[in-house]
Amino acid sequence: MATLTSTPATPAQRRRRARPGRGPRGEQVAGYAFISPFFLVFAVFGLFPLLFTFWVSLHDWSLLGDRSWSGLGNYSKLLGDDHFWNALRNTLGIFVLATVPQLLLSLVLAQLLNQRLRARTLWRMGVLLPNITSIAAVGIIFTLLFARDFGLVNWLLGHVGVEPIAWQQHRWSSWLAISVMVDWRWTGYNALIFLAALQAVPRELYDAASIDGAGPVQQFRHITVPMLRPTIVFVTLVATIGGMQLFTEPLLFNSGANAITGGTTRQFQTLTMYVYEQAFTGQEFGYASSVAWVMFIVIALIGALNALLLRRLRGVQ
Amino acid sequence: MTAHVELEPAPVVAVPATQTVEAPRVRRRLVSPTVVVLSFVTALSAFPLYFMVVMASRPNSDITSVPPPLTPGGELFTNLDRVLSNPDITFGKAVVNTVLVATVTTAAVVFFSCLAGFAFAKLRFVGRSPLLAFVLLTMMVPVQLGLIPLYMLMSKLHLSGTLPAVSLPFLVSGFGVFLMRQYVVQALPDELLEAARLDGASILKTFFYVVLPVLRPAAAVLALLTFMERWNDFLWPYLVLDLDHPTVQVALARLAGGYYTDQALVMAGTLLGVLPLLVVFILFGRQIVGGIMEGGLKS
Amino acid sequence: MTLHTRARRTAAAAGLLLLAAAGLAGCGDDADGASGSDTTLRVSVFGNFGYEDLYKQFERDHPGVKIVETSEGDLGQYNTQLTQKIAAGSGAGDVVAIEEGQVVNFLQSADKFVNFQEHGSNDHKDQWLDWKYAQATTADGKDTIGLGTDVGGLAMCYRKDLFEQAGLPTDREQVAALWPTWDAFTQVGEQFQDAMGDDVHFIDSATNTYNSILMQTADETYFDHDNKLIIDSNPAVQNAWDTALAMSDAGISAKLKSFSNEWNAGFKNGAFATIACPAWMTSYIEEQAGDENAGKWDITTVPGGGGNWGGSFLAVPTVSKHQDLALELVDFLTSADGQMGAFEAVGNLPSNPTLYDTPALKDATNEYFSDAPIGQLFVAGASSLKPVYLGAKNQPVRDAVENAMRSAENGEKSSSEAWDTAVSDAEAAAG
Repeated sequence: MATLTSTPATPAQRRRRARPGRGPRGEQVAGYAFISPFFLVFAVFGLFPLLFTFWVSLHDWSLLGDRSWSGLGNYSKLLGDDHFWNALRNTLGIFVLATVPQLLLSLVLAQLLNQRLRARTLWRMGVLLPNITSIAAVGIIFTLLFARDFGLVNWLLGHVGVEPIAWQQHRWSSWLAISVMVDWRWTGYNALIFLAALQAVPRELYDAASIDGAGPVQQFRHITVPMLRPTIVFVTLVATIGGMQLFTEPLLFNSGANAITGGTTRQFQTLTMYVYEQAFTGQEFGYASSVAWVMFIVIALIGALNALLLRRLRGVQ
Repeated sequence: MTAHVELEPAPVVAVPATQTVEAPRVRRRLVSPTVVVLSFVTALSAFPLYFMVVMASRPNSDITSVPPPLTPGGELFTNLDRVLSNPDITFGKAVVNTVLVATVTTAAVVFFSCLAGFAFAKLRFVGRSPLLAFVLLTMMVPVQLGLIPLYMLMSKLHLSGTLPAVSLPFLVSGFGVFLMRQYVVQALPDELLEAARLDGASILKTFFYVVLPVLRPAAAVLALLTFMERWNDFLWPYLVLDLDHPTVQVALARLAGGYYTDQALVMAGTLLGVLPLLVVFILFGRQIVGGIMEGGLKS
Repeated sequence: MTLHTRARRTAAAAGLLLLAAAGLAGCGDDADGASGSDTTLRVSVFGNFGYEDLYKQFERDHPGVKIVETSEGDLGQYNTQLTQKIAAGSGAGDVVAIEEGQVVNFLQSADKFVNFQEHGSNDHKDQWLDWKYAQATTADGKDTIGLGTDVGGLAMCYRKDLFEQAGLPTDREQVAALWPTWDAFTQVGEQFQDAMGDDVHFIDSATNTYNSILMQTADETYFDHDNKLIIDSNPAVQNAWDTALAMSDAGISAKLKSFSNEWNAGFKNGAFATIACPAWMTSYIEEQAGDENAGKWDITTVPGGGGNWGGSFLAVPTVSKHQDLALELVDFLTSADGQMGAFEAVGNLPSNPTLYDTPALKDATNEYFSDAPIGQLFVAGASSLKPVYLGAKNQPVRDAVENAMRSAENGEKSSSEAWDTAVSDAEAAAG
């Protein structure tokens, strides 16, 4: 089990790891008692729906009509389904397009916030502001900003001679617009998490680097990034979990009829949207469930990869 | 995206961040480049919210005009009043409901997370590691995955349409458990527990009198994050709630009802939905930021 | 503060909150008011059915009954919600509206709805156009899940002021004479476009026009009566597709996606001069274009004769706790008086053929649309209405075709590429 802390284990912890399990009886009982509320609630409201969904995915299950056993039929159909692959591609594409700049920006921002500043808390609150805005609000506001005929973005671009862009129409532009929404909401938040980790980096390191004549960029590359690696991996994991489930932003971005298909050629339909479309427009509850399960497996795989990476990194340190 | 934060408190032994007063040499320049960049970032952060206020303060016909309006108009209170007095929306009721749901789920999440986090960090029992791994896995379950079965379950329990239906699935959070576990490992020295044990305190007593006080900073952060997340929740409440029990986000979604979208009205509603959180944020922003940042250094 | 008291406070607070949680769990079913005899009837509709006054009338006749309507603006969203609730077996209203394109879908689970035939609907089924009644009845003819509200008789709405600027006639009769066929309509559009340049277009989008053409020419569209997908072999689909895209190629379309922000703004800003108008569209235009455009719009006949696009039914889910009252309400709302009331409120054309000869309907005009004789216009189309059979998977197939058409209109694909996509997506959607 990867523990995701960046601090080395204390001797006490190490001793405990060497002698796993077995506490005294009282401790055993208390341990189970303390974790039981979580597991009970999750079993009923998390695990049951999940397993039931798996059961449904083994059927040809129309939401309103008949149902019949189909075994793994849905899963083999899925492998040959272009729309599924398209949705997977969009999900991963938007995820990468949104996450990479977001993490870089967050890191730079954290570095800036780590300077000696007046009114530190105010700056920090400023970058956290977008995060309190609900996703629905973000979707509504940004979709107006990106409107083709009267949007602020196209109006501004018009001043530098760019023809109005139909943001919803092209793959690149829709991905970009959706990534902007995601990044606007999450960059500051992640910056604060990085900042917390930065606080644990001894200032002497930076001071020493300064004396050696390293500029801010070099300090960033050779001190900040390496020292924050575990946190970066963890933030990436969390971003993955969120990014793979992207739904509301692209849905609201496609205002009007057939919003769920994510554009005329499905250029920004994500996996979750596809699940939703199959289940409720297509009435294919069984098939939708199999897509949802594959999505879950993809997330779990990326998560496992992250955890492994983290372990390796910890080993290196 | 779901709100997740990895709290990385500085280890207990770390040198606290220097709290020195600004060194005089900083006054060399009037404005440092850092401040310029940060100001720009803050402006970017605030602009969409400002734009929302502009749109909420204009008549509907201005919203689609070219060039787009950038200054507030005089219709703000008219629009807000249209939202608040709209009989289909019962905004006041929605606010009360949302506060109720968010408060209860937040309290439950924090309490259960402290319990389980402490157990996973400090109590030895068989199967601890695999169980913790399982908690991590639960974070990866997309909400949409079990939407219909969950809805059927609520129907079976005769709860669909009611506030408990919105709250129950969110009484615990894998993320919360994990966060608290990380925090306990870093912020609760074994010596404290040892001392309590030598005093003859039971585990339960130790938890209430020794552990909880230490966990307060992290618990506060978790509480605020959970509260915001529940406040902004949309997909599940929209499916499961009926007319009599709207939450703010559900009420706002109904604003767009009636076939044609009155953008000014939607914007005014959106503004009303963000406002309470904004107030919470202004009141507790220091604590939120501080909590994320300071970890367990306060004693 | 000592550690001890602080801890006790925390513990006390935690205890209090848990109590609150327990209290919350207790406040479940207190929806119905305190006085026992009160009944609340829930009605779920989409868009604007124009029932407010009718509800008041029903409440007057049934003391102690309160009717609460929820209306969802987005039809897709409405269908999703209704499907979820019907499938899960709870949470739908006591009375629910079902749109024409979805009714076949819900016929698959006819057992989830009250069978109106068991409540005597067959005795007065001449109250509806034959095909309207048949549309909500199962293939074996034994189970009717919904009663008709309105039909979407087709006309053409146009902007007089823009026609005048383009040097076209503005009088209804003369305008109607301009376009006996869709080809003629396209030619008028080209004339208009030449005169007006690129700021205004003749039609709003290819898809809206396409749907109108399709719904007036065929008794089958994407599926035949055996629910077999016939999109590729049905000349009506092909013809509607070619005609609509020809307009786009001629440059007379504003290329606005239906119900999007831009489309809505287009009504207000005068981005297009005509729009194919099922009866229910008139109230939408009025709300969207706003008071500042009152009197600029007018209505005339649609090219190619009448047609029907849209229209709805009212149904009662079997899980409703107030079935008898709900049935009474549906009977009232779909009766001649109810349908007429809805027409007077928002212009939804009745599906009751006996009303078509009444002066109240025949002589009706619409002030917003320059006093256009909506009664005559829509009824003229309605009398020649032909039933169109829509398969259970009509909605996903229609979405696929519309999306493909938009991609051709936007220049992302050639017309033939888009057609191939439409066919293959339709096959996937039909399952």
